Amino acid sequence: MEHYSKQYQIVRNDIGNAGTVASLTKRELKKRGLSREFVKKVIIGIYEAEINVVIHSYGGTCDVEINDEFIRVTYRDIGPGIECITSAMTAGFSTASKIAIENGFGAGMGLPNIKSVSDEMSLESTKEGTILCIKFNISKENYAVS
Amino acid sequence: MQSVRLNSISELTLITSNKTISNDITGIFSCDLLSHVMGFANEGNILLTVLNNINVLGVASLMDLSCVIFTHNIEVNKSIVEKANELDIPLYKTKLSTAETTILLSKSGVNN
Repeated sequence: MEHYSKQYQIVRNDIGNAGTVASLTKRELKKRGLSREFVKKVIIGIYEAEINVVIHSYGGTCDVEINDEFIRVTYRDIGPGIECITSAMTAGFSTASKIAIENGFGAGMGLPNIKSVSDEMSLESTKEGTILCIKFNISKENYAVS
Repeated sequence: MQSVRLNSISELTLITSNKTISNDITGIFSCDLLSHVMGFANEGNILLTVLNNINVLGVASLMDLSCVIFTHNIEVNKSIVEKANELDIPLYKTKLSTAETTILLSKSGVNN
């Protein structure tokens, strides 16, 4: 199928619209005939990363690329950065705000969940911003049986 | 698939306008942390929660949950009910606690 490429703006603390990237990407993946199990795995990764940008950063962008071989999603935000990536990758570790926690986020499961569902994950962070890239490989087995 | 008619359980009040559950009920998932719902709930699960915010619907939609039951007599915001109607996600509320609701559903035939 044709190459799919979209860029989304993610707004700081816009909790009401959090999940838009995941929702629109899910629609595209289903259109491509990918299996429910595979779509679920990809959407967990995309949603968690999207929430992270909303609740932890000053805002940023998300680029989604889909082709026949992989799905690559890249998040770029404008700070304040992750102080300690090792701690952030630990399940249960959280620096989420009170508002984020009241909205059901900030359990400290975001990055560990993303790592567990993705095939490749890279994370770079400075005070000026964070770049998270996650990739899901697509194989024949990932398509729904018709 | 479990043929459970939630509308016939007197302790549950349907607060959305949809009368049927389009996704098959596959079990119960009780949680107030959305990352855990994303990570561990299964398609078709009934979500029991006290989390009264719009993101519950986003997660319910992404995970293809069958419906959401707000426990502990939580007063659900009107905007959430309206959005749930748009997304066709049935919402129920109950005076029961989450644990009591889990037991009730189990006795009514919902099993994980």
